[in-house]
Amino acid sequence: MKPMKTLTIVSGKGGVGKSSIAASLSVLLSRERRIVAVDCDVDASNFPLLFGVNELGKRERVSTNYKAFVNKNAKACKNIVDACAFSAISWNKEKALPEINRFLCEGCGTCKLLCKDGISLKRVKNAVVGESKTRYGFPVISGQLEMGESGSGNVVDLVKERARKIAEKQGADLMVVDSAAGIGCPVIASVRESHFVIGVTEPTPSGLSDLKRVFEVVRHFGIRHGIVINKHDLNPGFTKHIEDFASKNGIPILGKLPYDREFVRAMVDLKPLVVYNKGFEHHFRKILAEVNKATRL
Amino acid sequence: MKIAVTGGKGGTGKSTIATALASELSSTGKVLLLDMDVDCPNDNLILGIRQKKVGDVENMIPKFDFEKCIKCGRCSRVCREHAIVFVPGKNPVLIPEQCTGCGACRIACPAGAISESKQSIGEIFSGKKGNITLVSGSMKPGVEESSLIVNAVKRYAKRMEKGHDHVVIDTAAGTHCPVIAALLDVKLGLAVTEPTPLGAHDLGLILELMKELGIGSRIILNRSDIADKKIIHDIARKLDVPLLAEIPYSKDIAKNYSAGRAIEHPAIKRIAKELLL
Repeated sequence: MKPMKTLTIVSGKGGVGKSSIAASLSVLLSRERRIVAVDCDVDASNFPLLFGVNELGKRERVSTNYKAFVNKNAKACKNIVDACAFSAISWNKEKALPEINRFLCEGCGTCKLLCKDGISLKRVKNAVVGESKTRYGFPVISGQLEMGESGSGNVVDLVKERARKIAEKQGADLMVVDSAAGIGCPVIASVRESHFVIGVTEPTPSGLSDLKRVFEVVRHFGIRHGIVINKHDLNPGFTKHIEDFASKNGIPILGKLPYDREFVRAMVDLKPLVVYNKGFEHHFRKILAEVNKATRL
Repeated sequence: MKIAVTGGKGGTGKSTIATALASELSSTGKVLLLDMDVDCPNDNLILGIRQKKVGDVENMIPKFDFEKCIKCGRCSRVCREHAIVFVPGKNPVLIPEQCTGCGACRIACPAGAISESKQSIGEIFSGKKGNITLVSGSMKPGVEESSLIVNAVKRYAKRMEKGHDHVVIDTAAGTHCPVIAALLDVKLGLAVTEPTPLGAHDLGLILELMKELGIGSRIILNRSDIADKKIIHDIARKLDVPLLAEIPYSKDIAKNYSAGRAIEHPAIKRIAKELLL
């Protein structure tokens, strides 16, 4: 069996078309080989929706995190207020007890080390992970953080782990990963161990600035990467600027997509664009051909 | 007045609305705009504000004294971020990018072999344009904990709030730590969305989060005419959250954004008026 490969789509800036592009690429790739689609935007997981999957199957509540709780024996532990690196602990004068803001608590356990009998550290179920078969034949695996919980990076790791197992069971040798926006922990967890990263951008100052930032993370891991410019015709001058940036830094431009309302119509119809309108297929074929030139997935 | 602009889904127009609202409010008083999308801060680009660096954000990382280290491995066991690798008989090794600076290792070390050292994880920038003072946080790429930089921006800006009539906070996309940190101690949050299934899905999440945090919320439906807006109206009704404004798609808005200019729109005036009531 061929070794498992991972293709990850990032953007830094949100809403530039990352998930839409990832969905179309997944469908095209699945016609040639066995793949699994992986939703690593566990903050706002909507990759499955683009395949028409409204509710995930085989849902399971998972825990990757702890939270600290105060009990009565914490009266003497005023020192934990300053010790908390996440500003999650304050002192309640009336009760003469520390108070933990559960939205800020990261579950690091530092307070517990200082106040052994006054603090309990409990595991919390902080996410739901599930999987469904899409109507295109391949499975999509996704996770969603519970509201107000933290630890999205760890949840991403869990989602990828589950995707890998499913891929192995089904003889798939490619994972297509849709990352979250931004450059923080969920994105780092998404990018880690990828074989190639596609950075989606748009011709705006914000789009390029954010792309540069997320590529710094990608380079940190030494992963090959390329650029897709979405809505390139909205600002041809700035598109040229992005192309100059790419050539100066030796990053391949994998493709350019036009601004077209068909993207929105496809999304509303809950179908990847290449399924909704076959006329766009050649754009995505070109992207995949360019990825193949850059690396062997 | 202190409000946050958020939305769940990325690219729905959070920063566009936040900067436009700041511009509008600046005609009535002094505005403090806080860009708390520290992963990807862009408000300076949209408003064309040249910023100066006003501070470094640092966190504590452990520094090992291997003369004192007894190679017990306790530091590695208490670290929930797996930032300390320990092989029996060898000195512990720190992976700085993984370290959130919680300090558990230092407290747990029975030999007193760990002291605190600092590492830079981000920067704070500030600049002015007319009545708007912008403060932005920027996380160093490769660092994991965005919320630490958000909290640093909050601390820096706290003493400036008094000298301003309005505070507008622009949050990151998503619903996790940096967004939560930005929303805490705000009374009202504007959720910017678009009438697509993805926009609707993420709107549901962010409204749920604000409810959980005890924050009042209003919906702003951006690009309201790109698809059937019933999908958003349904959520507004179901969750009983008022829809404050609808802004249709306009090539002018997109072009201004692309060129790095704040937008002007009658809807923004209405939003400002309504918020000031």
